[in-house]
Amino acid sequence: MASKAESKKWDIKEAKKLFQEYLNKGLEEEKKEIKLPEDTVKIDDLNKKQTLERIYELTDSIIEKIYATGRPSIELPSRTSTNIIWDEKNDLLLLGKQIMEKQFHSLASVADITRLMKVLEKVNELLLKDLHATKREIFYSAVQLFGDQKNSDKSIEDVATMLYTTRNSTHIVASAKGSCIGRLRIRDRNDIIDLEGLGSGGWTISPMLDNIEILESDAEFILVLEKDAAMIRLSEARFWRKYPCIILTAKGAADIATRMFLRRISKELKLPVFTLVDSDPYGHYIHSVYLRGSKRLSYESPFLATPNIKLLGVLTKDLEKYKIPNDCRIPMNQTDIKRTKELLGEDFVKRNKAWEEDLKLALKLKIKAEIQALSTFGFEFLTDQYIPEKLSTGDWI
Amino acid sequence: MKIFHKNDGGIVQLISKDKMKEWPIELPLIFIEYVRNNQLNTYDDNKLKKDIEQYLDEVLRDVAIPGLINVLDGNDQEEISKALSRIEELAKKNIELVKPIKPYVENLMKKGDKTLNVLCKPIIENFDKAERKKQLAEKRKIMQKKEKEFLAGTISGEEYAKARKEYLLLKD
Repeated sequence: MASKAESKKWDIKEAKKLFQEYLNKGLEEEKKEIKLPEDTVKIDDLNKKQTLERIYELTDSIIEKIYATGRPSIELPSRTSTNIIWDEKNDLLLLGKQIMEKQFHSLASVADITRLMKVLEKVNELLLKDLHATKREIFYSAVQLFGDQKNSDKSIEDVATMLYTTRNSTHIVASAKGSCIGRLRIRDRNDIIDLEGLGSGGWTISPMLDNIEILESDAEFILVLEKDAAMIRLSEARFWRKYPCIILTAKGAADIATRMFLRRISKELKLPVFTLVDSDPYGHYIHSVYLRGSKRLSYESPFLATPNIKLLGVLTKDLEKYKIPNDCRIPMNQTDIKRTKELLGEDFVKRNKAWEEDLKLALKLKIKAEIQALSTFGFEFLTDQYIPEKLSTGDWI
Repeated sequence: MKIFHKNDGGIVQLISKDKMKEWPIELPLIFIEYVRNNQLNTYDDNKLKKDIEQYLDEVLRDVAIPGLINVLDGNDQEEISKALSRIEELAKKNIELVKPIKPYVENLMKKGDKTLNVLCKPIIENFDKAERKKQLAEKRKIMQKKEKEFLAGTISGEEYAKARKEYLLLKD
C-alpha cells in the first residue's frame, strides 16, 4: 500500500514579512513616551491591588466629604459619547473632563447611589477574596435593590468608570466560549499551560483574563477562525507545527473574552493577526467586530479591538480564483444583500478599497460560501494549500 | 517580553523579569524548570538555546533568589518552610546558584526553631559538601603538580609527601 505523501511546506514569505514589520513597529512603540491630550484622563487596565487602592481612595474622599460638609456626593465621569475619546493613534481609551455629581442626600439619586455603593461593595469583596463574578451574579446579589438587571449592569459600568478602569479589572467578567491552540505557553495563577499539549480541543479561553499571563511563544502570526469546524481541521493537521502560529476561534460571533484575549496576545507578542471567516456578510461582520469592536463605540471597545487584523479569507474573489464549484456556492437572500449594503456603508470598509471591492463583487454575483466549501477539493486543501498559499502570496485584505 | 532571535528569522519570546518580580516566590523557579525541561529541546538552534539558558540563570539570580531571601528574612513560618524546601531542591541541582542564600539559612539555624532546623540542616550539609568538594579538587591539583615536580627531581620527597598527606586527610 502506498504511504501518504508528505504535503508541501510553503514558504509563507509575505506573512513573515508582515511579522517582521509588526515586531519592529511594536518594539518602536514600546519605547515611545505617550503624551495625553489636554483635559483627558486615561482608562487603565489594573491589577487586583491597584483596583483596591482606587476603591480605598474613593472611599476616603467620601468620608472626608462627610466630615467636611455632612452632605457627601460622588463625582462620576460622564459616559456619553462626547466624553469618551478613543485615541486611535496611541490606541488608548480616554475620558474627557465632563463630570456628573451624584448626591447621597438627594431623593432623585438615592436609589442610583445605593445601587452604586452595593456594586462597589461587591467589587471590593470579589477583589479581597480573589474571586470573579458575572453580571448576572451581581444582579442576584441584591435582586430587590436592582429590580432589573439593566440597573445592576448600569451600576457595574458606572463603578468601572468611577475607578477609571475596565470592567475586567473589577473582577466582573463576561462568560467565554472561545478556544485557543498553538505555539503559546501561558500561566493561569500557578499553573503553566502549554497550548500545544492539550489535545485537539485546545484551551478554553478563560473569562478571568487577569489570572492569565503569557510566558513563552515562538509564534509568528495569529489565525482567528470563525468556525469550530475549521479549528478541528487545523488542529488535526497540527497546522502550527508546520507554520508557527497561534489559532483561536470564538465558535461563531466573537465573545468579549475571546476578543480581549486576542487583543492581549497580539499586542504583547506584537504579532500580525489574520481572520478566516465564511464568505458571507455575517463572516465579514465578525471580522469587523474583531477589528473595531461592536458598532456602538462602547466604553470598553478599545480594550476589545484588534485594529491591524487582516481578512485572509474566504473572499468572494477566492471563489472564482479557486474555481469553487457552483453547487458549493449559496445564493444570497434579501437579508444577506441588505447586510452587505450596510457593511459597504461603514467608514472602515470605505477606507479599505480591497475590502470594498470584494463586498461589491459579492453583491454583483449575489453568492456566498462557507469555509467548508473548500473541502470540495479534499479535507487537506484548507491546511495544505489555501491558507499557506495566501500567507505566501500576501493575498489578504 | 524578552525577545530571542532564531537563525531562520523567527523569534522566541519569554516573559520579562520585571513581570516575574510580581509573582509568588515559588513561581519563577517553576518557570525556569518548565522552560529548561520542556521548551529548550524544542528549539533547534544552539545559540538560541545558550542565550535562553543564560536568561534563565539571570531570572534565577535576579528574581527567584532575591524572592527567596526576602521570605527567609520575614516572619511567615509557612512561607519560610516552603522556601526552604525549594532551596533544598535547587541546592541538590546546582549549589552555586543558591550560594547567596547560605548566610540567611545559617541565620535561621541560629534562631533555634526545631521545625525550621530540620529543613535548614540538609541545605547546610549540601553547602558543606560542595565546599569540601571544591577544596578537595584544589588539593588534588596541588598534589598532582608536586608529584610531577618530585618525579622531575625539582622538589624533595618530603615536600611531595606533605602535599599528598593533606589531600588524603581531606579525602577521608
